[in-house]
Amino acid sequence: MPELTYREALNRAMDEEMARDEKVFLIGEEVGEYDGAYKVSRGLLAKYGPKRVRDTPISELGFTGLGVGAAIAGLRPVVEWMTHNFALLAVDQVVNNAAKLRQMSGGQISVPIVFRGPNGPAEFLAAQHSQSLGGFWMHVPGLKVVAPATPSDAYGLLKSAIRDDNPVVMLEAELMYPWKGEVSEQEFLVPIGKARIAREGEDVTLITYSKPIRMVEEAAERLAEKGVRAEVIDLRSLRPLDEETVVHSVRKTGRCVVIDEAWPMASPGVTVAQLVNSRCFDVLDAPVELVSGEDVPMPYNHTLELAAQPSVEKVIAAVGRVLYREDL
Amino acid sequence: MAELLRMIALSPTMSEGRISKWKINEGTEFSSGDVLCEVETDKASMDYEAPQSASLLKILLQAGETANVGDPIAVIGQKGEDYAPLLKGIGPEEGSASKVHEPERPAENVKQEPPSAATQPIEVGGSQRSPKPAAEATAQLSQQLTAEPAAQPAQRSPKPAVEPAAQPLQQPAAKDAKSLPRKTPQAPARLPPSSPLARKLALEKGIDIRLVPGSGPGGRVIEHDILEFEKGMKGTVLFPGAGTAEPAPSELRREPAIIQPSMKRLVIARRLSESFFTAPHYYLKKKIRAEALLALRATANAARPTKLSFNAFLVKIVAEALVRHPEINVYWRTPGATGAGIAGVGAAGAAAPGAAKETAGRPTAMSSSTVASALHPVLEQRHSIDIGLAVALPDGLITPVVRDCNLKSVSEIDAELVQLIEKARAGRLAPQEYEGAGFTISSLGSFGIDEFTAIINPPGSAILAVGAIVKEPVVDDGDIISVAQTLSLTLGCDHRSIDGAVGAVFLADLAAMLENPAMALV
Repeated sequence: MPELTYREALNRAMDEEMARDEKVFLIGEEVGEYDGAYKVSRGLLAKYGPKRVRDTPISELGFTGLGVGAAIAGLRPVVEWMTHNFALLAVDQVVNNAAKLRQMSGGQISVPIVFRGPNGPAEFLAAQHSQSLGGFWMHVPGLKVVAPATPSDAYGLLKSAIRDDNPVVMLEAELMYPWKGEVSEQEFLVPIGKARIAREGEDVTLITYSKPIRMVEEAAERLAEKGVRAEVIDLRSLRPLDEETVVHSVRKTGRCVVIDEAWPMASPGVTVAQLVNSRCFDVLDAPVELVSGEDVPMPYNHTLELAAQPSVEKVIAAVGRVLYREDL
Repeated sequence: MAELLRMIALSPTMSEGRISKWKINEGTEFSSGDVLCEVETDKASMDYEAPQSASLLKILLQAGETANVGDPIAVIGQKGEDYAPLLKGIGPEEGSASKVHEPERPAENVKQEPPSAATQPIEVGGSQRSPKPAAEATAQLSQQLTAEPAAQPAQRSPKPAVEPAAQPLQQPAAKDAKSLPRKTPQAPARLPPSSPLARKLALEKGIDIRLVPGSGPGGRVIEHDILEFEKGMKGTVLFPGAGTAEPAPSELRREPAIIQPSMKRLVIARRLSESFFTAPHYYLKKKIRAEALLALRATANAARPTKLSFNAFLVKIVAEALVRHPEINVYWRTPGATGAGIAGVGAAGAAAPGAAKETAGRPTAMSSSTVASALHPVLEQRHSIDIGLAVALPDGLITPVVRDCNLKSVSEIDAELVQLIEKARAGRLAPQEYEGAGFTISSLGSFGIDEFTAIINPPGSAILAVGAIVKEPVVDDGDIISVAQTLSLTLGCDHRSIDGAVGAVFLADLAAMLENPAMALV
């Protein structure tokens, strides 16, 4: 199976969907002439022309609204946000228009649109550009939110998102774009709303999504050396949430640590923890642990920047707490 | 309207019961008389029958959990009813019940307290339905029972408490519970902190989580602790030959395993301790020749398809001796003594001579003298001759009682014994079948024991310990030594009610009747 980077996988997905359906078009800052701020759209302008790959002014609310309008009118836009930090400017279009119109029109209007771009902290980007904002979208009924953590899932989920008749927000990550992974040459879709068991284990369930997956897998590896068999769940979709996979796993292990880069208040992580508490209460041997980003604006100082994020050490310490083991 | 279903006293001595199994599920409708659940009482497993037709809305006390009499165990009512307010009204215990102990408070005051639901805590993990450390539970059990004489006036109803179906749903049970001290003041019974998984495992494995040392933060009992505890239990052989567990690591063997005693075992421990430590025991021994008795049995059995047991003859002749010596058929009731909870046995006969069969062994109206017993000791004179026969079972001793033995033939007694022992082995003896023996016979002859002493079984004042029939050389009146079949009798008496000379005369007469059964006829 060929290896692709995460950005190549996204590019292939968009390329295939644009070839498959002429209603699909890409719009955003630097997506055309510059081949994308992170080169995700490389070659698409050359292949599909400026009508279907549109560069826009630096005006998130404007081009996001343009996308929503085009979707209402029957096209299938892919709106690229340079980062989710900038998408805060476009929240009104997403929350009040894209997410609402199907319900408020009694099903007459659909908004088949994808909003995508990097989310979460990268490095050296300071407080305003180092935010994990998935919870902002996950909060809103009417939206779907996906957060692929592998090139294969990035490919399969973006294709599903483009084909979905509802607005889908996709969380990528700057540091994930160069990640390599096998992606089948055969065309395939990854269903929205289905989690992935990244690693099987019996002793503790580690639940995460997006970029922290590699860190969590490393923690699981280190735990294995100490005889702890951790099961790692990659949620892949935040909304809808794959409750069954989560519940099934925790019912097996009786212990759960949720790892989320976002701040701890009202975050995807606490939502998952609440789910586990309510549906797995009788099998829990310890309170669910949450390893989150620290509850502070991201410090610029690099030592502090790293300290403010989840780490292998923090995950292992949390696993130690749910296993009542101080030797981890 | 939704209402709380409470634990009721399914036996006269029952102060708490453990649900062994729910027979119907939440949401199920039932009719009056249907069996709702099985309750393990102090001695037997009893069916809890529905007092009315309704739906089981909510189970408050899960299988394996224990509740005091009067504590809510479920919510019943019409399907879909909102019963939340019912649960809200149940606050934490106010401790008023313990006032029964204060001497300046007459028992009547206690029963006047409204049976408010507010004193019946049912919070999850709350004190009352939560299991308590075994030692504490035993202490509490005994303390509860200690208060029974004071509690009895509240039970003036002629309705026997042993008939659950006949009992109104809550009131009597609630009153009973109200008038019992439910907590030692210095030791609030609380569940140790524990994880849900640990609690679930403990329930599945039948482990009393109170006994498990918690290793988590704040002493929280966690899964690991339950599994370790279970390993410890497996390392222990409860009964020789009951299946040996895999050899546990030596570290595990160093610490004794803690085994949660059954309700029955707790009651045996409490009652016998109380008897042995409060009744001054003395023992009289007599060796008799058993040939005549054996011959009588052989003669009687020769013409019968089924054989009458030796015990049946023994019971009959003891009954005849008791007819001649009513001074042995007594009970010294002290304030605070449980009397095995068979309060009123002595008074029962007095109230209805000749009707003892109906009333014996059941709590009934207390005579004024018994009420007085709350303040000072009384001697209860029994009018019926009810003899208990100790039966050893794997999970503990039980004493089925044959009532009115003086009015029954040997074959009637034998038939009853067969039936009672069979029921005892099945754990299905009804309370009236094992409570209230005025005299007890214990035989270890089948184990080859020559002679032994026994502990008096309240509410009796004497117990006869019967050894094995053995061949021994005896010297007759003519100083001739011959071989005889002999039997050792040891009579244990409570010196408070039976003086040595009184006991001696009885034993001598009994021995003479056993050696020459014809004397029992005249």
